[in-house]
Amino acid sequence: MAVEPLGWGRRLLMCPPEHFDVLYEINSWMHREVRVDPDAARAQWDGLVTVLKEVGAEVELMASVPGLPDLVFTANAGIVNGAQFIPARFRHPERQGETPYDVAWFTQHGSSVDYLPEGVSHEGAGDALPFGDVLVSGYRFRSDAASHAYLSRLTGAAVRSVELADERLYHLDLTFCPLDRRRAMVAPMGWDAYGRRVIEALVPEALVLEDDDALAFCANSVVVGTTVVMPSCPPRVGRRLEAWGFEVAVAPVPEFLKAGGGCRCLTLALDVTLGPCPPSGA
Amino acid sequence: MASEVVEIEGHIIDSLILAKVMDVILGAGADYRVLDVEIGKSNVDTSRARIEVIADTEDALASLLVELQVHGANRAHMGEAELVGADADGVLPPGFYATTNLPTRVRLGGRWLEVENPEMDCALVVRSVDRAAPSRESAAEDGPGWRVRTVPMHRVRAGDLVVVGSDGVRVEAPERPRGATPFEFMTSEVSSEKPKGLLVYDVSRRIRRAKAAGGRVLAVCGPAVIHTGAGPDVARLVREGWVDVLFAGNGFATHDVEANVMGTSLGVSVREGVLAEGGHSNHLRVINEVRRYGSIAAAVDAGYIDGGVMYECVRRGVPFVLGGSVRDDGPLPDVYTDVVEAADAMRYLLQGVTVALMLASTLHAIATGNLLPSGVETYCVDINQAVVTKLADRGSHQALGIVTDVGLFARELSADLGQAP
Repeated sequence: MAVEPLGWGRRLLMCPPEHFDVLYEINSWMHREVRVDPDAARAQWDGLVTVLKEVGAEVELMASVPGLPDLVFTANAGIVNGAQFIPARFRHPERQGETPYDVAWFTQHGSSVDYLPEGVSHEGAGDALPFGDVLVSGYRFRSDAASHAYLSRLTGAAVRSVELADERLYHLDLTFCPLDRRRAMVAPMGWDAYGRRVIEALVPEALVLEDDDALAFCANSVVVGTTVVMPSCPPRVGRRLEAWGFEVAVAPVPEFLKAGGGCRCLTLALDVTLGPCPPSGA
Repeated sequence: MASEVVEIEGHIIDSLILAKVMDVILGAGADYRVLDVEIGKSNVDTSRARIEVIADTEDALASLLVELQVHGANRAHMGEAELVGADADGVLPPGFYATTNLPTRVRLGGRWLEVENPEMDCALVVRSVDRAAPSRESAAEDGPGWRVRTVPMHRVRAGDLVVVGSDGVRVEAPERPRGATPFEFMTSEVSSEKPKGLLVYDVSRRIRRAKAAGGRVLAVCGPAVIHTGAGPDVARLVREGWVDVLFAGNGFATHDVEANVMGTSLGVSVREGVLAEGGHSNHLRVINEVRRYGSIAAAVDAGYIDGGVMYECVRRGVPFVLGGSVRDDGPLPDVYTDVVEAADAMRYLLQGVTVALMLASTLHAIATGNLLPSGVETYCVDINQAVVTKLADRGSHQALGIVTDVGLFARELSADLGQAP
């Protein structure tokens, strides 16, 4: 079956890595003794921007802020739903300082801001990706399952909750990558038995990632139309993607892997509209 | 047993979260009861479920609740109890929380405080441990420094902080015994068919166990204990130390003394069962003499009373409360003629009681049942099944009935228990 491109992913928000570093350890990838090479990071980030633009994405920028090294991972800023922005409620205090800057950017760009209640955590698009008619949202390490009902109420979208089971794959976007309307890359090692069944029932055609592929952040890819921009691409995965009609572009970001983030983490799709989807083809 | 109601909301059906939550509960060795489920009509509507989680211990429940919270299941009632100061002595604020006799907890300052003395039909009053001047603000801020007690209406004092409404109040459902429990033999609640010998044996085993655990045994006696000739057997139970507290009325005490002083009960010879000459006034003469001595204890000391249940109570220092009624002759000087004082005296003596024997007493059994926390094992022995039923109907669901002649029961019980514990 030919690729039926996703209706989102062509306008992306990014933040240059001027203040990016590993200053604290809030996931199993971060080690403060493994510092970031700022020049290499900048070069890799520029490379990613170039590739994204080449394959047809529009990139918007927000300013980096000293003391907020992870602001570069814009995927976690919040949930975008048309002109609505729901800022993340970060679990770790280290990242909570990012939210005012995210809110300021979206307010300046005409979004209306709705907040999740205090006391629940949810880390934005890092833990919530639309697929088909629903929003798939992960929980356990960074987001609370209780946040999903609020998310559904605020956006009007049906939320399918998936429990993450591997601490190394702490966000949903490290385990799940919607490719088009019917297909997705999936890393079942990151989910509990129930989560696997939920995704199995939801995704008609899945490209199942081996554990090594998942831990190389294959799922943390950005899909722009029919192109999949990946941090790395094992041959088996590349062949399958190409057989389905996708093109693969590799944009290595090893400096960012030191902080536990890949290509997807460095971008936030601005052209997402959630809610009850119009019938396909409309 | 500990239980808590949790609520979970979201697309919990499609996401299998509901199934997962149930799995997590069972996997932890706990149990659940689905109270209600609202399933969203369309794909976009969220669903909602309320589930009662039942675990063996408070600790097991607490750690299970933490685990469930990960899956979005939160305690249904997280609110704080509302406190309102009583504005007059003996008058509760409108909307006061009316208690049950079940174990109850009150949420204050983010913590659940155990009600110290569960009793039905009372109010809950929050007091400072160090008796500092109470204020609503400090109670809410400083939960751990406060204690919650049931207080009957007449005992509330102006300014007492009373729990209003049912928010922040948690009542634990009666424990349903599972498997081979001491109660298993009487699961039909009122049993008249089962072999009495077996029943008596089980009751005596419970009493032994309660005493060994440091609990106290309460006997509540009606006059029929004396009429049926069971007086000496109950007296023996007191003498041997099996009874720690006695509740009765003017009638029981009078006939007990009459039986020992005159050999009759309400004029009827306890031995021969025939009406003694002039016997109808025997009880009046006995009351009159005890009144002359000033108290039952004084009459015992003077040698006027030389046996019986009241005699053994005085000798052994077993405290008793004799509650009065409008039909009382005399009454005996020890009888509380103020019913509110009588109830307070009974409340005071109930501390530490873990087993209650209601022996052929309707009114005092019900009065006592009203004061007992649900955890007290209560055996109601009466020839009349209605008494047992009545007790349960009035909220003393823990009462287990044995429909039999109290004379037979007391004889077998005292024989089985025998010597002092």
